[in-house]
Amino acid sequence: MSAPQADTGGRTASGPGRALVAVYGVLAVAATFRSGVQVLRDFGAAPVAYSLSAFAAVVYVVATLALARAGGRARRVAWVAVGIEAVGVLVVGTLSVVRPDLFPDATVWSAFGAGYGFVPLVLPALGLWWLARGRGGRPAPAERPDR
Amino acid sequence: MLVTALAAAVVAAWAAWRTVRDRPVVLRQLVASGVVEALLLVQVFVGLVSVARGSGPADGATYWGYLVTTLFVLPVAAAWAFAERTRWSSVVLLVAAVTVVFLQFRVVQVWSGA
Repeated sequence: MSAPQADTGGRTASGPGRALVAVYGVLAVAATFRSGVQVLRDFGAAPVAYSLSAFAAVVYVVATLALARAGGRARRVAWVAVGIEAVGVLVVGTLSVVRPDLFPDATVWSAFGAGYGFVPLVLPALGLWWLARGRGGRPAPAERPDR
Repeated sequence: MLVTALAAAVVAAWAAWRTVRDRPVVLRQLVASGVVEALLLVQVFVGLVSVARGSGPADGATYWGYLVTTLFVLPVAAAWAFAERTRWSSVVLLVAAVTVVFLQFRVVQVWSGA
Protein backbone atom coordinates (compact mmCIF):
# COMPACT_ATOMS: atom_id res chain seq x y z
CA MET A 1 0.00 0.00 0.00
CA SER A 2 1.41 3.34 1.00
CA ALA A 3 5.09 4.07 1.44
CA PRO A 4 5.09 4.94 5.18
CA GLN A 5 4.14 1.35 5.91
CA ALA A 6 7.38 0.02 4.49
CA ASP A 7 9.70 1.78 6.91
CA THR A 8 7.88 0.79 10.08
CA GLY A 9 10.37 -2.07 10.21
CA GLY A 10 10.31 -4.14 13.36
CA ARG A 11 8.18 -1.77 15.37
CA THR A 12 4.78 -3.23 16.13
CA ALA A 13 3.20 -0.03 17.36
CA SER A 14 3.45 2.30 14.39
CA GLY A 15 1.51 2.50 11.17
CA PRO A 16 -1.23 -0.12 10.95
CA GLY A 17 0.02 -1.51 14.25
CA ARG A 18 -1.10 1.66 15.94
CA ALA A 19 -4.64 1.10 14.72
CA LEU A 20 -4.44 -2.48 15.96
CA VAL A 21 -3.23 -1.34 19.37
CA ALA A 22 -6.10 1.17 19.48
CA VAL A 23 -8.73 -1.52 18.90
CA TYR A 24 -7.00 -3.79 21.39
CA GLY A 25 -6.96 -0.99 23.93
CA VAL A 26 -10.67 -0.37 23.55
CA LEU A 27 -11.43 -4.07 23.92
CA ALA A 28 -9.08 -4.39 26.90
CA VAL A 29 -10.78 -1.53 28.71
CA ALA A 30 -14.26 -2.82 27.82
CA ALA A 31 -13.45 -6.37 28.95
CA THR A 32 -11.73 -5.21 32.15
CA PHE A 33 -14.60 -2.96 33.11
CA ARG A 34 -17.26 -5.53 32.34
CA SER A 35 -15.55 -8.38 34.15
CA GLY A 36 -14.83 -6.09 37.08
CA VAL A 37 -18.54 -5.34 37.46
CA GLN A 38 -19.48 -8.99 36.96
CA VAL A 39 -16.98 -10.37 39.46
CA LEU A 40 -17.57 -7.72 42.13
CA ARG A 41 -21.34 -7.67 41.86
CA ASP A 42 -22.52 -11.24 41.40
CA PHE A 43 -19.66 -13.67 41.05
CA GLY A 44 -21.73 -16.53 42.47
CA ALA A 45 -24.31 -16.37 39.69
CA ALA A 46 -21.95 -17.64 37.01
CA PRO A 47 -18.45 -18.37 38.38
CA VAL A 48 -17.19 -20.05 35.21
CA ALA A 49 -18.34 -17.31 32.86
CA TYR A 50 -17.14 -14.51 35.13
CA SER A 51 -13.74 -16.08 35.79
CA LEU A 52 -13.36 -16.45 32.07
CA SER A 53 -14.33 -12.81 31.56
CA ALA A 54 -11.68 -11.73 34.04
CA PHE A 55 -9.08 -13.98 32.41
CA ALA A 56 -9.96 -12.66 28.96
CA ALA A 57 -9.67 -9.11 30.24
CA VAL A 58 -6.15 -9.76 31.59
CA VAL A 59 -5.10 -11.34 28.30
CA TYR A 60 -6.38 -8.33 26.35
CA VAL A 61 -4.54 -5.91 28.61
CA VAL A 62 -1.31 -7.92 28.24
CA ALA A 63 -1.76 -8.14 24.47
CA THR A 64 -2.38 -4.39 24.21
CA LEU A 65 0.72 -3.51 26.22
CA ALA A 66 2.90 -6.06 24.42
CA LEU A 67 1.78 -4.87 21.00
CA ALA A 68 2.35 -1.27 21.99
CA ARG A 69 5.96 -1.91 23.01
CA ALA A 70 8.81 -2.48 20.66
CA GLY A 71 11.41 -5.19 21.19
CA GLY A 72 11.85 -8.93 20.97
CA ARG A 73 10.53 -9.83 24.39
CA ALA A 74 7.35 -7.77 24.02
CA ARG A 75 6.84 -9.41 20.66
CA ARG A 76 7.05 -12.89 22.18
CA VAL A 77 4.61 -11.89 24.90
CA ALA A 78 2.31 -10.52 22.21
CA TRP A 79 2.50 -13.81 20.31
CA VAL A 80 1.43 -15.75 23.40
CA ALA A 81 -1.32 -13.34 24.40
CA VAL A 82 -2.80 -13.04 20.93
CA GLY A 83 -2.49 -16.83 20.54
CA ILE A 84 -4.44 -17.38 23.77
CA GLU A 85 -7.12 -15.04 22.47
CA ALA A 86 -7.40 -16.92 19.20
CA VAL A 87 -7.74 -20.25 21.01
CA GLY A 88 -10.03 -18.74 23.64
CA VAL A 89 -12.51 -17.21 21.24
CA LEU A 90 -12.67 -20.41 19.19
CA VAL A 91 -13.00 -22.82 22.13
CA VAL A 92 -15.32 -20.69 24.25
CA GLY A 93 -17.27 -19.61 21.18
CA THR A 94 -17.87 -23.21 20.20
CA LEU A 95 -18.67 -24.30 23.76
CA SER A 96 -21.12 -21.45 24.29
CA VAL A 97 -23.04 -22.59 21.23
CA VAL A 98 -22.86 -26.34 21.91
CA ARG A 99 -23.27 -26.23 25.70
CA PRO A 100 -25.04 -22.95 26.56
CA ASP A 101 -25.79 -24.30 30.05
CA LEU A 102 -22.11 -23.83 30.93
CA PHE A 103 -22.42 -20.09 30.38
CA PRO A 104 -25.49 -18.62 32.10
CA ASP A 105 -24.15 -15.17 31.38
CA ALA A 106 -22.19 -13.97 28.37
CA THR A 107 -18.42 -13.52 28.24
CA VAL A 108 -16.41 -11.55 25.70
CA TRP A 109 -15.80 -14.77 23.82
CA SER A 110 -19.37 -16.15 23.90
CA ALA A 111 -20.83 -16.97 20.48
CA PHE A 112 -17.48 -16.00 18.91
CA GLY A 113 -17.71 -12.48 20.28
CA ALA A 114 -21.09 -11.67 18.71
CA GLY A 115 -21.85 -9.29 21.59
CA TYR A 116 -18.85 -7.21 20.54
CA GLY A 117 -19.59 -7.21 16.84
CA PHE A 118 -17.30 -10.25 16.32
CA VAL A 119 -14.33 -8.00 17.01
CA PRO A 120 -12.87 -10.60 19.45
CA LEU A 121 -12.90 -13.14 16.60
CA VAL A 122 -11.34 -10.90 13.96
CA LEU A 123 -8.79 -9.22 16.22
CA PRO A 124 -6.54 -12.23 17.03
CA ALA A 125 -6.43 -13.07 13.34
CA LEU A 126 -5.30 -9.54 12.53
CA GLY A 127 -2.91 -9.57 15.48
CA LEU A 128 -1.24 -12.82 14.44
CA TRP A 129 -1.00 -11.64 10.87
CA TRP A 130 0.57 -8.38 11.94
CA LEU A 131 3.07 -10.11 14.21
CA ALA A 132 3.99 -12.65 11.54
CA ARG A 133 4.37 -9.96 8.93
CA GLY A 134 6.68 -7.82 11.03
CA ARG A 135 8.97 -10.68 12.01
CA GLY A 136 11.36 -10.13 9.13
CA GLY A 137 12.40 -6.70 10.37
CA ARG A 138 14.73 -6.82 13.36
CA PRO A 139 13.28 -4.77 16.20
CA ALA A 140 16.25 -2.44 16.59
CA PRO A 141 15.87 1.06 18.04
CA ALA A 142 18.11 2.40 15.31
CA GLU A 143 15.52 1.39 12.79
CA ARG A 144 13.07 4.05 13.87
CA PRO A 145 11.64 5.75 10.81
CA ASP A 146 12.88 9.28 10.22
CA ARG A 147 10.41 11.86 11.37
CA MET B 1 -26.87 12.27 24.46
CA LEU B 2 -28.17 11.93 20.95
CA VAL B 3 -26.32 15.10 20.00
CA THR B 4 -23.07 13.67 21.34
CA ALA B 5 -23.56 10.41 19.45
CA LEU B 6 -24.31 12.31 16.25
CA ALA B 7 -21.27 14.56 16.67
CA ALA B 8 -19.07 11.52 17.27
CA ALA B 9 -20.59 9.86 14.20
CA VAL B 10 -19.62 12.92 12.14
CA VAL B 11 -16.04 12.69 13.45
CA ALA B 12 -16.06 8.97 12.58
CA ALA B 13 -17.32 9.59 9.06
CA TRP B 14 -14.72 12.32 8.54
CA ALA B 15 -11.94 10.02 9.76
CA ALA B 16 -13.23 7.24 7.50
CA TRP B 17 -13.15 9.59 4.54
CA ARG B 18 -9.58 10.60 5.26
CA THR B 19 -8.61 6.96 5.73
CA VAL B 20 -9.96 6.14 2.29
CA ARG B 21 -8.07 9.07 0.82
CA ASP B 22 -4.88 7.92 2.59
CA ARG B 23 -4.53 11.09 4.65
CA PRO B 24 -3.52 11.61 8.28
CA VAL B 25 -5.67 13.38 10.85
CA VAL B 26 -5.60 17.20 10.55
CA LEU B 27 -6.09 19.79 13.23
CA ARG B 28 -9.65 20.60 12.19
CA GLN B 29 -10.62 17.01 12.97
CA LEU B 30 -9.12 17.38 16.41
CA VAL B 31 -11.18 20.55 16.91
CA ALA B 32 -14.28 18.52 15.97
CA SER B 33 -13.18 15.85 18.46
CA GLY B 34 -12.83 18.64 21.01
CA VAL B 35 -16.47 19.57 20.41
CA VAL B 36 -17.49 15.96 21.09
CA GLU B 37 -15.35 16.03 24.22
CA ALA B 38 -17.08 19.23 25.37
CA LEU B 39 -20.49 17.61 24.82
CA LEU B 40 -19.34 14.67 26.93
CA LEU B 41 -18.30 17.04 29.71
CA VAL B 42 -21.77 18.64 29.55
CA GLN B 43 -23.15 15.14 29.93
CA VAL B 44 -20.99 14.55 33.00
CA PHE B 45 -22.21 17.83 34.46
CA VAL B 46 -25.89 17.04 33.77
CA GLY B 47 -25.38 13.59 35.26
CA LEU B 48 -23.85 15.02 38.42
CA VAL B 49 -26.71 17.52 38.80
CA SER B 50 -29.25 14.70 38.36
CA VAL B 51 -27.53 12.62 41.01
CA ALA B 52 -27.47 15.63 43.35
CA ARG B 53 -31.21 16.00 42.81
CA GLY B 54 -31.74 12.32 43.53
CA SER B 55 -32.78 11.32 40.03
CA GLY B 56 -29.55 9.78 38.78
CA PRO B 57 -28.99 6.84 36.45
CA ALA B 58 -30.61 3.49 37.19
CA ASP B 59 -27.21 1.80 37.45
CA GLY B 60 -24.77 4.35 38.84
CA ALA B 61 -21.49 2.40 38.74
CA THR B 62 -21.98 1.24 35.17
CA TYR B 63 -23.14 4.66 34.01
CA TRP B 64 -20.16 6.52 35.43
CA GLY B 65 -17.80 3.77 34.32
CA TYR B 66 -18.92 4.16 30.74
CA LEU B 67 -18.98 7.93 30.78
CA VAL B 68 -15.58 8.41 32.40
CA THR B 69 -14.06 5.81 30.04
CA THR B 70 -15.58 7.65 27.08
CA LEU B 71 -13.83 10.84 28.18
CA PHE B 72 -10.41 9.24 27.65
CA VAL B 73 -10.97 7.71 24.22
CA LEU B 74 -10.70 10.76 21.97
CA PRO B 75 -7.76 12.45 23.76
CA VAL B 76 -5.70 9.26 23.36
CA ALA B 77 -6.57 9.13 19.66
CA ALA B 78 -5.65 12.80 19.35
CA ALA B 79 -2.28 12.23 21.01
CA TRP B 80 -1.58 9.42 18.55
CA ALA B 81 -2.60 11.63 15.67
CA PHE B 82 0.38 13.83 16.48
CA ALA B 83 2.78 10.89 16.70
CA GLU B 84 1.56 9.06 13.63
CA ARG B 85 1.50 11.20 10.53
CA THR B 86 0.09 8.55 8.18
CA ARG B 87 -3.39 7.42 7.24
CA TRP B 88 -3.30 5.13 10.26
CA SER B 89 -3.92 8.07 12.54
CA SER B 90 -7.21 8.43 10.66
CA VAL B 91 -7.97 4.76 11.34
CA VAL B 92 -7.25 5.30 15.03
CA LEU B 93 -9.54 8.34 15.14
CA LEU B 94 -12.19 6.32 13.30
CA VAL B 95 -11.95 3.53 15.88
CA ALA B 96 -12.07 6.05 18.73
CA ALA B 97 -15.10 7.92 17.36
CA VAL B 98 -17.02 4.69 16.67
CA THR B 99 -16.23 3.64 20.23
CA VAL B 100 -17.68 6.90 21.54
CA VAL B 101 -20.86 6.39 19.48
CA PHE B 102 -21.22 2.86 20.82
CA LEU B 103 -20.55 3.93 24.41
CA GLN B 104 -23.14 6.68 24.04
CA PHE B 105 -25.77 4.10 23.17
CA ARG B 106 -24.77 2.07 26.20
CA VAL B 107 -24.85 5.20 28.37
CA VAL B 108 -28.41 5.93 27.21
CA GLN B 109 -29.45 2.32 27.88
CA VAL B 110 -27.88 2.28 31.32
CA TRP B 111 -29.42 5.63 32.25
CA SER B 112 -32.92 4.29 31.61
CA GLY B 113 -32.05 0.99 33.28
CA ALA B 114 -32.09 -1.30 30.24
